[in-house]
Formats: sequence, C-alpha cells, structure tokens
Amino acid sequence: MSSSVAAKALSRSYAGERVLTFVVGLLALLGGALALVVGAGWLGEYRGRRPLLDPMAVDWLGGHATPARIAAIVLGVVLLVLGLRWALRSLRPEPRPDLDLDTTEGAELVVTAGAISGAVQADAEQLDGVSRARVRAVGSRTSPALRITLYLYEGTDLKRVWEDLDLRVLTRARESLGLDVLPTAVRLELDTSQAKRVR
Amino acid sequence: MRPIVRLLSTLLGLAFAAAGALLALEVGWHWWRPGSGPLLVPWPRWQAELASLGWDAYAVRVGAGVLAAAGLVLLLCALAAKSRAVRLTDPADEVSVSTSPRSLARLVGLVVRAQDNVAGATVTASARRVRVRATSRLETEGELRPRLLETVATLLDGVPLARQPKVTVVVDSPKDRR
Repeated sequence: MSSSVAAKALSRSYAGERVLTFVVGLLALLGGALALVVGAGWLGEYRGRRPLLDPMAVDWLGGHATPARIAAIVLGVVLLVLGLRWALRSLRPEPRPDLDLDTTEGAELVVTAGAISGAVQADAEQLDGVSRARVRAVGSRTSPALRITLYLYEGTDLKRVWEDLDLRVLTRARESLGLDVLPTAVRLELDTSQAKRVR
Repeated sequence: MRPIVRLLSTLLGLAFAAAGALLALEVGWHWWRPGSGPLLVPWPRWQAELASLGWDAYAVRVGAGVLAAAGLVLLLCALAAKSRAVRLTDPADEVSVSTSPRSLARLVGLVVRAQDNVAGATVTASARRVRVRATSRLETEGELRPRLLETVATLLDGVPLARQPKVTVVVDSPKDRR
C-alpha cells in the first residue's frame, strides 16, 4: 500500500538519512561498548592491559605493507566518494519534476512543474471551505506526482471537500493534461483559521 | 526531528568524506616519501601515544563511553524521525490523503469544548491514539466521561481515517475531590 506513487508523494522520503544515521549510531554504540568490555577485562585480564595500538597488529601490518597501503588508499577514496555523495544527497532540495506529456521525437511536450502547480492551486482555492492551497510537483521525472496541501476553514465538511477535490480539481487536471492517472497526495490541515469575511 | 536527522546525515557524510580523504592522502604521501614528515595529521605522535595507552586506561574508558552515548543519541534521533502524518482512506486510485496530528487534535478539541459543562480541554492525537483531558466544574468524571467518549467516537466516525485511533478521555473535576 505504501509503495504506490501517490502514497510516496505524501512527504519527502527520509529513509536514506534515517538508515545512515541509524547504522552509524549502531556502529558507534557497539564499538564503544566493545571497548568498554575490553577495558573492563571481561575478555581476559591481559587483553585489557595491552596497548590500543597492539604490537602484534602493527607487526602484521608491517609484514604486509604493500597490500595494507593499497587497501588503506582504496578505503579512503571510497569513503571520500560515498561521504560526499551522501552529504550532497541530504542537502539537495526535493526535486520538482516537469511532466513529460509526449516524448515522441520531434513533438515533445513538457509541462513545467510551476505551470501545473499554479493551475491546480488556482482550481483548489476556488473550492468551498478551502482557505489556502499549496501545490507542488514531487517525485522523479519518470514517476511524477502532485502534492496538494489544503488549509481548510473551521467546521468544513470533510467529505464534501473530498468529493469536490476529486471531481472538480483532479479530474480537470487529468483531463486537461490528457492523463489517465495523475498520482496525487493530499495533505489536509484542518481548522487553520476562522471563517472570516472582510467586506 | 526530521530536519535534525537530515543535518546529522549531512555532517556524517562530510565527516566520512574528510576522514577518507585524509587517510588516502597520508598513506599515499608516506608511501611516496617515507623519509619526510606527515602531511596534515601528526600521526606518528598519535601512534606513539596509542602504543603507550592500555585498553584499561581511564581516558580510553571515558572515550568509549562517550562514543557509545553518541551512538545511542544518533540511534534515537533516527528512530524518532518517522513520519507522524495521520493517513486517511484513499478516495480514488492513485490519490492518497493524510492530515497532521495537530489538525486531528484541533478538530477533536473544538467538538469537546463545544459540549455543555466543559470548561476546557487539551487534546493530543496521533494515528493510533487520541487523548482528551477535559476540565469541568459542574459534572463529575463519571457523568461527563461517557458523553465525551461518545461524542469523540461519533466525530471520528465521520472522518475517513485509515485506522480508527483509540480514544481515551480523562475528566478533571473539582466535584470529584469532595
């Protein structure tokens, strides 16, 4: 259920960031705990008294100097590339893909993300009970989706907004774009402001 | 919590990148010019210090404790950064709807405060649970609580939530203290 494009469009995915933070945290926790266990002498009295930089390990590395150096350099480069990619991935703003309506060569037709959000937003703000709407394109170029945030007045009938949204806004957007399906995620913010009329 | 995890993830990525760059640079430099000193990191000094420090040294234990604690904090941050949106039923294919816990709480709060003899109410909501804490000067908990439970249940029936949250109501009334 949560794998559908529309469900994914509900909010930006944090899976990558969460997994990285989780794994690094887990490794740090386990490493720290292991060091504490060794230091407390639970893995043998003498293991706890040996130096951090164990002479046995240093001797072994000295005996295999060339492979160790190559491995260290490869590890360093891999860490550099992965680390930079990860930092850029985290910093990059969520993309707003344009919609490819026609990819036939010579007759390409692209609707920009700004154009479609503007049109749907204007439609959505016409609905009864909607005080404000925010629309943006999300997802990737190959599977784009719309994310609509509706700010509803206090006491608005949820079911009517629901039907109006589907019948008037989304159907119209689909028809004007000539699409059978347009994955859409709707976020409702209820009772955001009093229904006030300024005359 | 989500922006914090994004920030943490960025910083961790940069830290790994920097560590990797330094590692590759120092090893390469030492390999190429074994006679000259280190490039950026004073690693021969670190090597000497590490070789003289035992696993049971006080500094090592403190360092290990700090590392484990920092790992635990990262773990908890990653776990707390889950999505808290309240899912509603999908009205059509390829349309998904959600609302914020705050919106749901506001909705419930309005209805509860509109009830007779309710002086005030605080509501917290999540996808699984709605907690109402109401104060009343005129009615006891025994009188008011069933009515509020029913009201909230009726209200939530009208909202097409993907899963019905459990409703708990607590009434705080001076009449109960007599």
